[in-house]
Amino acid sequence: MNTLSRLFSKTFAAFSFFIMFLIVLNLGLFAITFYGVIHHDYGPDSPSVMLQKTAETLNGQHISPSMEEPLRQAGIWAMVINDAGKVVSSATLPPEIPDQFSLGDVAVFSRGYLHDYPVFVRKLDHSLLVLGYPKNSYIKLTSNYYSYGTLTRLPLYVLGTLLLDLILLFTAYILSKIKVQRAAGPLISALNTFPRSQRGTLSTRGELAAVAASVNQAAELIHRQNEARANWIRGVTHDLRTPLSMILGYADRIAHDPQASPAIQDQARIIQKQSVKIKDLIQDLTLVSQLEYEMQPLRKQEIHLARLLRTIAADTLNAGLADVYSLDLDISKEAEDLQLACDPRLIRRAIGNLIGNSVAHNPQGCSIMLKLETNENLIILTAADDGIGLSEAQRQILEETPHYLESIDERLDLRHGLGLILVRQITEVHGGTMKIESSFHEGFRVTLTFSRS
Amino acid sequence: MEHSFLHSKKILLVDDQPELLTLVREILTDDGFCHLASAGTVEQGLAVCRTQRPDLAILDVMLPDGDGFSLLKQLRQFSEMPVLFLTARDEADDKLAGLGLGADDYIVKPFLPQELLLRIHAVLRRCYKEAGEQIQLAACTVDFSRAEVYRQDQTLALTAKEHALLETLVRNEGRIVTFDALCEALWGENPFGYENSLNAHVRRVREKIEADPSHPVSLITVKGLGYKLIVR
Repeated sequence: MNTLSRLFSKTFAAFSFFIMFLIVLNLGLFAITFYGVIHHDYGPDSPSVMLQKTAETLNGQHISPSMEEPLRQAGIWAMVINDAGKVVSSATLPPEIPDQFSLGDVAVFSRGYLHDYPVFVRKLDHSLLVLGYPKNSYIKLTSNYYSYGTLTRLPLYVLGTLLLDLILLFTAYILSKIKVQRAAGPLISALNTFPRSQRGTLSTRGELAAVAASVNQAAELIHRQNEARANWIRGVTHDLRTPLSMILGYADRIAHDPQASPAIQDQARIIQKQSVKIKDLIQDLTLVSQLEYEMQPLRKQEIHLARLLRTIAADTLNAGLADVYSLDLDISKEAEDLQLACDPRLIRRAIGNLIGNSVAHNPQGCSIMLKLETNENLIILTAADDGIGLSEAQRQILEETPHYLESIDERLDLRHGLGLILVRQITEVHGGTMKIESSFHEGFRVTLTFSRS
Repeated sequence: MEHSFLHSKKILLVDDQPELLTLVREILTDDGFCHLASAGTVEQGLAVCRTQRPDLAILDVMLPDGDGFSLLKQLRQFSEMPVLFLTARDEADDKLAGLGLGADDYIVKPFLPQELLLRIHAVLRRCYKEAGEQIQLAACTVDFSRAEVYRQDQTLALTAKEHALLETLVRNEGRIVTFDALCEALWGENPFGYENSLNAHVRRVREKIEADPSHPVSLITVKGLGYKLIVR
């Protein structure tokens, strides 16, 4: 949902910016379009300038001859009417204009047109200056009044409308955001967990139905590919099992054959040891790939952990642990009757791997301690040894380097074995966490923490 | 003594790979088993079971004319003999199916020879008791059929629980048996809070079988885990 909010605030900013841009653009276009007209309207030929000039150059009530030329050029006629309504002076006056006006005529044309000529007037001492502009050059508003209320409300109207527009725009934006969010939310959360999300669970209705369907399809495809990959690993390891049994069996026989020379026996032991490594790898690989692709069905049951640990320890010791190693259990009183809903086979494997790790990395021997503790919320299972441990750098590599199963780069050199990966995966499918602690020459400790169900 | 009893058992191997049959045969022969039969198919396996009545069958899961599971099913119609699966499939499902059908144990390939022998011995010990079985301990002889301990010129009787305790330990001779497994053997499934009773029984058994019960040499405590019995 975070990505979505971020996306929307970005869109919001973009839209706000866009609206401002539109306003500026409109103002600009307005200026470009009307620049000439405005310039003309308020230029030297404009009514106010002409009236002013003509009035200033009047000779008593007579239009100065110097004005006649500019007036003609602009297509303007002029006349001066005295208080009795008689035209006392004129310039380029069209013939249809009468030379006598009644008070009513003056009242009417002063507001509008005279024979379709837009006219402009100026009051002089005892007379009236009238300029007539070419037809269709100006439009006059003949009913040029507004009530006082109209004008006082105008600012309120403009601001209010603007505000309302903004509110409506914002509401529309929020509504569409909610709508998109509702449609895209499940998609995005599905994509966030992709491809681990459940297949085909996205609803394919609503606006983004097509996208949801594609996501479902992609999830299905990935699941099938993962399945194929896990099956492939399973198949390959299956085919390796029988031949490896033969190698292990005969190496063991040669190693114990009294007729073989000590050198040959040693070599057989090397073959045996390496074959055991392959055997462990095969077993881990299958399980890791199945857990990785979530194909391993968990067979959870309520398991008495203390008993399981004792069984594992006893089995390990019974299978023959070399004398240089010791294996001890430390089960706290509170943890003795503890039960955990888990797959005992997997937990057994995880602990077996941890013990195996300690043995494998400490050929000179070490003491291994399995510890089970609990508090109100957590179950803490620790496997620790007092062996050579890891340097900080090695530990970091171990925790941070992805295994080749989980990585796509080509660096195989820094990779560690599957053992700990498997432990981590097993812990995680049980909702727990794994922590590795170690320092050089001070042992190695892996802590698995589960929540009490 | 016990070994020769187990080694007298007849074992049937069913696997379609002759090399593997040879290997398992050699491992078993070396360990001391001398009655071995083998078969390559379900049909042959069943025929051998009918005619030779082996004491234990080791079955491969994948066979040319069917699988080990169906072989076991047919076998169960006329025999209750112990069966051990040897499978190249991984642990995930086959084992459980095998055990559900009444197999006694399973081994996943690749296996170590010692592991195979250990499992075979365990299954045989669990399923066959030696008639008039006696074992030699450091300070005494235990006769399980009579539930008696012979020590110098003394004869001491074992109670039912002491008998069960010793029997469980003998079956796992030299190996650690956890407290939990012992409690289960003595008091049945899911025993809780029997630890003190178990300790009491162990103490009484030691008084009967050890020369010095406070420094036991036969019935040894493995701290935090359980007990093990050392047979001479």
